[in-house]
Amino acid sequence: MSATLPSNTRELATAPAGLRLCDVVLARGGRRLQPELSLTMSAGEVVLLRGPNGSGKSTLLRTIAGRLPSTASSITCDVPVLYIGHADGLSPALSGRRNLGDWARLNGLADDDDAIDAALDRMQARGFGELPVRNLSHGQRRRVALARLTLGQAHALWLLDEPNAGLDAASSIALDDLISGHLQGGGMVLAATHLPLGVTHKPRTLTLEVPS
Amino acid sequence: MTPFALQLRRDLRLGWAGRGDMLVVLGFFLIIVTLFPLALGPDPAQLRIIAVPVIWVAAMLASLAGFTRIFAEDVRCGWVDQVALSPMSLPVYALAKALGHWLLSALPILAVTPLMALLLNLGSGQLAAMMLALALGTAALTLLGVIGAALSEGARGGGGLMAILVLPPAMPVLIFGALASTPEAGRLITPHLMLLGAVLAVLLAIAPFIAAAALAESESESGG
Repeated sequence: MSATLPSNTRELATAPAGLRLCDVVLARGGRRLQPELSLTMSAGEVVLLRGPNGSGKSTLLRTIAGRLPSTASSITCDVPVLYIGHADGLSPALSGRRNLGDWARLNGLADDDDAIDAALDRMQARGFGELPVRNLSHGQRRRVALARLTLGQAHALWLLDEPNAGLDAASSIALDDLISGHLQGGGMVLAATHLPLGVTHKPRTLTLEVPS
Repeated sequence: MTPFALQLRRDLRLGWAGRGDMLVVLGFFLIIVTLFPLALGPDPAQLRIIAVPVIWVAAMLASLAGFTRIFAEDVRCGWVDQVALSPMSLPVYALAKALGHWLLSALPILAVTPLMALLLNLGSGQLAAMMLALALGTAALTLLGVIGAALSEGARGGGGLMAILVLPPAMPVLIFGALASTPEAGRLITPHLMLLGAVLAVLLAIAPFIAAAALAESESESGG
């Protein structure tokens, strides 16, 4: 039990379960993108990141995912993080099914054929699940990558970078359903998107400005 | 299945899917070695003298050609992002990548080495010692390659860095390896081989951590 507690337990005692950003400084290539950002999210919440290109939406998501350094800031997150960025995380030479199976096994999640089938079905991706990812179109790859969301833990924080860019209408609706279901089950979603998300929960919006 | 075994199996699958890349490294090795008899002439005594150095340098250069690929695809497609968020630690990932790369690139080189030794008229008594030294040497070299590959991913398109990063620290490997390949008659385990083993042991202990530190904040494609 003690191993799973974040190091900053004092802060945790006052904060509800979820994500807490305190005075986060976003910087790319030594250039500061935003004034300090603060954000608190708890179970069942969805936050949309808005802002023009270059305002730091992807940078913020990558910083929360721990893939970029965060300077002079505190980020606490006490739930598992599921990140789907611009890069899908799918090796082009392997099939979508194999990619999903490896990912699930790596994370100690259900990785049997039924679970993968169900995940692919949710994004209507079963028909091309056996093909090498390099033979898929951009939208099809995206759907295989998003099928990961079905396999993850129910209370996870989803960090989605332009999740519905390049999706057809039916897949966009499937994604909306996935997100709505996840929020219902007590999950959290932080999504950077220019397109509307048709989710049942009313989203909060965090707007980033372009630095002057 | 442990994360290490999972990553290794994934890399072997990817290696099989892209076996052309494997053959390039092997072909490069074969070509470098066969160029020497052509340039030097067919004098068996002369060939015997250069056999060990030529095979060693060819193995090093051919291996170098494959190192840029170690992390390139995983970083570009975002698999490293997923690994970083998973329970698998990055040093374990780097070590699995090193073993996978050694099996896919160095093992084929070792397999054709007896043939190359024959071509260069190397005494049959020396072959066993050289194979043993080459096995350890290529393993050490692969670990240096993993460090170089991880660092050049961070430097973005720094493929040209590889030779400058990897070859200078590889010099002890070459020196001890070549000496261990030419032992006094009848001896297989020489002090030079032990020193080569020591270099390998040190790299085994530090290389995964250095590579992991370099990969910790590597960028995937259009990560901006």
